[in-house]
Amino acid sequence: MKEYPAVVKQNIEIAKGIFAMTLTLPEDVEIKGGQFANISTGSDRLLLKRPLGIVKHDGADVTLCYRVVGAGTKLLSEKVSGDALAVLLPLGNGFRIRPEEKDVVVIGGGVGIFPLVPVMAQNPDKRFHSFVGFRDRESLCLLDEFEKGTDLTVVTDDGSYGEKGNAVDAYFKKAADVKADLIIACGPQVMFRALKKKLDESGRGVRCLVSLEERMGCGIGACLVCACDMADGSVARVCRDGPVFDINDVVL
Amino acid sequence: MARLEVTICGVEFKNPVIAASGTFGFGREYSEIYDIGLLGGVSTKGLTLEPRNGNPSPRIAEGSSVILNAVGLQNPGVEHFIENDLDFLKESGTVVIANVAGRTLEDYEKICERLDGLVDMVELNISCPNVRAGGMALGIKPENIEEVTRLTKAKLSKTPLIVKLSPNVESIPVNAQAAQRGGADAISLINTLTGMVIDTETRKPVIRNNTGGVSGPGIKPIAVRMVYEAAHSVKIPVIGMGGIMTAEDAVEFMMAGARAVQVGTANFADTLAMPKIIDGLNGWLDSHGIEDVNDIVGTATLN
Repeated sequence: MKEYPAVVKQNIEIAKGIFAMTLTLPEDVEIKGGQFANISTGSDRLLLKRPLGIVKHDGADVTLCYRVVGAGTKLLSEKVSGDALAVLLPLGNGFRIRPEEKDVVVIGGGVGIFPLVPVMAQNPDKRFHSFVGFRDRESLCLLDEFEKGTDLTVVTDDGSYGEKGNAVDAYFKKAADVKADLIIACGPQVMFRALKKKLDESGRGVRCLVSLEERMGCGIGACLVCACDMADGSVARVCRDGPVFDINDVVL
Repeated sequence: MARLEVTICGVEFKNPVIAASGTFGFGREYSEIYDIGLLGGVSTKGLTLEPRNGNPSPRIAEGSSVILNAVGLQNPGVEHFIENDLDFLKESGTVVIANVAGRTLEDYEKICERLDGLVDMVELNISCPNVRAGGMALGIKPENIEEVTRLTKAKLSKTPLIVKLSPNVESIPVNAQAAQRGGADAISLINTLTGMVIDTETRKPVIRNNTGGVSGPGIKPIAVRMVYEAAHSVKIPVIGMGGIMTAEDAVEFMMAGARAVQVGTANFADTLAMPKIIDGLNGWLDSHGIEDVNDIVGTATLN
């Protein structure tokens, strides 16, 4: 991990309120799928960097995706090609797929789909089965990324695209027909709770990794702001020990 | 190249820029980004006798040019620190300041006794506003400050004692003098101001603990005023902090009377903030024809 002075190469709205920002760093970087970046908004008023999912990287170019939810992401959305921004990356542990895990089910809800994208690109030897959920038709994004080398099921909360429903339910409807050595998931807390409940009920014992979100301070594990309660009674740092955890190791 | 070395209570710092407690852990994570041996010192994450899990999340919120935190003294306990982190910090070549806290006076005495002679300085956190049972009460009233200082000083025969003052009090000069009477070798200030941020959609405080400690450049004028007041009411050295983001901010605190400064929130905005402040301090002194950083201490005069 390093603090880089980055230059915005492109910053485009890829769906309603959702942006993809490509940054050019001063050097090539190695990034593992599921790792994230902490990016400055460039404002003296908003001091905290924003932790954003890394969707793609190619040499010194890194693409982050984000939904505009507050003042910080609003500022980011206004950046244009050539603007300078400080970025700290790569952060966190990322998804680690074991060699024997060949069939991987990918479950993504809303902006939670972002960190899942590079995992698929970096593991061409695996078979991915993706279930992604969006709010509505206007929120659809990155579907082409999921279509590459994966069978894809898309659902929306309002049924305006694909079936009406959420990604977890969409998977469990088909679970009997989908081989799963591992499930990787990212989305809101409520989605993880539903996923854990269904997994427990199914009794199938498939390993499941989830990527958590929490408000962060330093992003590197020093300030202990992004705490997550663990099932063993300890407290983990989402930014450093995570953001990817085994679903059974964390208290959701 | 100006002289940046400062000496506080006989402890030599290579420069007056110290990492503030709670923002820097025990230095390991930042050491992956730069050589922490460049720093004047590191004040550790607040240590307690026993490990603590801290407060529930979210523990952080943001305001205009400030942040609020309510970590609640999560730490692995003093023994774990001594066993796993102390040597690493010492070997880095920076001054090691152990920031300590407790629930009772006995806790403070025991932890100081344990750390005596092991670290370069001890910084007493009597002002952390987050742990309901301890901190706050001790840091508010001058008689309590004097007592905890006297009791802990008695346990520190080898290591100088810094008392860190809270800004959430009636009188900084009175409390600074109380620490001095109790035998403090130095004081540091300011700890965070207590604040709240409410999410207007949920109508609830953003921080799960409801209130948090406010820090960052938005509080700097308050901190500078308090450092000025403290430095002009005691003879012992003062270490200043509160919203320092740049070398000029550090200069301002030193002109107010601080012999060294601590940098906290700036590390979140820019992980390289402290090395930049050290470089900038040198540049500022050079550009002003000042050869020794000690020459600016306390040079601000009132109108």
